[in-house]
Amino acid sequence: MSDEWPVRASGLIKQFGKFQAVRGVDLAVPRGSIYGVLGPNGAGKTTTLRMLLGIIDPDSGTRSLLGEINPRSASHRVGYLPEERGLYPGMKVREAIAFMGALRGLDWKEGRKRADEMLEAAGLGRVTHEKVRKLSKGMAQLAQLLGSIVHKPDLIVLDEPFSGLDPVNQELLERLIRAERDRGATVLFSTHVMGHAERMCDRLSVIAGGLVRFEGTVAEARARLPMRAHYLPNSGGAVAQALLPADAVGDGEGGWRFTVPDDGAEQLVTSLISAGHGIAGLSIERPSLHDAFVRIVAEAKAEEAAQ
Amino acid sequence: MKRLFSDAFVIARRDFLATVATPTFIIFLMMPLLMFGISAASGLGAAHIASTSQPVSRAVALLGSNAAEALRASDSALREAAGSSNLPALVILPETADPAKAARKMLSKGQVDTTAVLYGALDRPVIRHSEGNVDAARYLAVIAENATRAKQIGLGADQMLSRPDIAEIRSRSVSNSGQHSSGFGAVTVIFVLTLLLSSQTIGTMAEEKSNKVIEILAAAIPLESVFLGKLIGMFGVALAFIGFWCGLGGIVWSLLPESAAMSQFTPAIGLPLFVTFCAAYFALAFMLLGAVFLGIGAQASTMREIQMMSLPITVFMMGMFGLASAAAGAPGTDLARFAEIFPFSSPFAMAARGATDPAVWPHLLALVWQTFWVGLIILLAARLFRAGVLKSGGGWRSVLGLRR
Repeated sequence: MSDEWPVRASGLIKQFGKFQAVRGVDLAVPRGSIYGVLGPNGAGKTTTLRMLLGIIDPDSGTRSLLGEINPRSASHRVGYLPEERGLYPGMKVREAIAFMGALRGLDWKEGRKRADEMLEAAGLGRVTHEKVRKLSKGMAQLAQLLGSIVHKPDLIVLDEPFSGLDPVNQELLERLIRAERDRGATVLFSTHVMGHAERMCDRLSVIAGGLVRFEGTVAEARARLPMRAHYLPNSGGAVAQALLPADAVGDGEGGWRFTVPDDGAEQLVTSLISAGHGIAGLSIERPSLHDAFVRIVAEAKAEEAAQ
Repeated sequence: MKRLFSDAFVIARRDFLATVATPTFIIFLMMPLLMFGISAASGLGAAHIASTSQPVSRAVALLGSNAAEALRASDSALREAAGSSNLPALVILPETADPAKAARKMLSKGQVDTTAVLYGALDRPVIRHSEGNVDAARYLAVIAENATRAKQIGLGADQMLSRPDIAEIRSRSVSNSGQHSSGFGAVTVIFVLTLLLSSQTIGTMAEEKSNKVIEILAAAIPLESVFLGKLIGMFGVALAFIGFWCGLGGIVWSLLPESAAMSQFTPAIGLPLFVTFCAAYFALAFMLLGAVFLGIGAQASTMREIQMMSLPITVFMMGMFGLASAAAGAPGTDLARFAEIFPFSSPFAMAARGATDPAVWPHLLALVWQTFWVGLIILLAARLFRAGVLKSGGGWRSVLGLRR
């Protein structure tokens, strides 16, 4: 059971003063997956991750990490990259990585050896013996990520791992995360950048206003929104608007945008051709995760406003 | 428990190396030299001021040459026996035609501090002294008397009728005052070392907070291990400091002749056990007070707050020193018992007890008691940090363990 669900949470609630940051989060992360926790700023993502890891305790609710009720008991099998990056500036990069491994129970000597290998593989071999203070922000961030996986954890938790990285390093980080998943690790990461989540996540949760508003695959998230069509008539003349769905709006260039009906576009296309409008262009646009995210968050805000 | 310590040693190792392997540590190591230098400079300055500002104090005799020689011999003999420090310098001047007038003149002028003047025959000396200096007059009277007696029995003033046999006997027995001194000395040494070294722990969490490493530590290991590790790391630094200076001190000590004063350093519990217990009490004093400093310092959000906290902490430590010193001076009293039980004065007071009480079991009990308090303070400090700084919440109920 625990192996199948390395992370489980039920009804997590956390209040800071009068502000309820997390209002009852349920989460179940399947083993061997890359799982995204998405949400706008201040949604409660970081607080949820900190509760899962045992950095702070929830006011109520239960959690388990790799089958352990006390997250601390599993800490040697967990890697964590916090949102606020931190390394000792006076430490050499290799020592910093070995130190992070030692915190997770890895022998110092083995940690140094792995640090050398990992730095070399990540193209950072030249900074192995440099002090952390000499690294650029991106390099330091990558070094810290290496430190959080040097002990080969079963579960890796990354809080906004892509923030502050340039596109090249973002690509490198994506590769590293996928490599960890391929090794067998479960990766749980938070982000508010949809591109990464769309490319990488096997499953995801969208948190807004301290509650999970969606849970499922990327495809399921996108399927929450209907497909949109962009139609350009062949006739060049006015289209009998009655043939188009009620939400059709002109694009100002003789074309129309509308939601694809639930039963598909075939019948509509047939009707348009039969009516002599023809088809100069027709594109069906699948909604992106970004669109789905915006819709989910908007719905959450509307719901909160209504309460 | 094993993991608590293994995690703590990861932190301790990092902190120890990060502290010792820096140029700042060399300055820290040389701190006693700076202290001695300042003390020496202050002492020399004070001595110089004392020597230049204090007026020359002298007793004057206006005598003919024969009497003058006899009086000088008498003065030398008495000065040698009594030590010269508190005696007025004797100045012998030729007899004048009107010695009474000369005496009045000398005693009324303040530039050179003439405290008393003798004139006339030695068997009937006339002695005048200035206000408040009757002792100088009496001194002149005594040396005149001795010179007169020596003349009457035909001895030189520096010769003696008796032949005293004077020899030193070194005591190996234990005196109460020696034991009290040993106790007070132990309290002082442990206190000074603790004051110098344990207060360094107050700012050690600042580094983790400022560079955000605390989040990584808190996610990986229990905060109790972080706090314990920091204490152990700083204790390692303290041991490096003490080891360096004890090594130097040992070399200097081995070059010195055996001191009679050391024979009085005879604690009731025996020297080897006393030293062992003192080392253990220093370790626990460091851990106890260091844990308090660390816990309080960890709550501070800025260096300014840490600096502000240093003063009350130092005052608190001085209070513990005062309590333990009072206990050392009054062994067996209720005050001493209180100081031995109160956790923050207990290491100092128990070290003092070792000097006057031969019983061993109270020390073993005290070590367990103090260790319990170290653990308790670390536990509370960690919970306070989690609740306050990491914002885990729960308030005092959480800190006191009343809420999961």
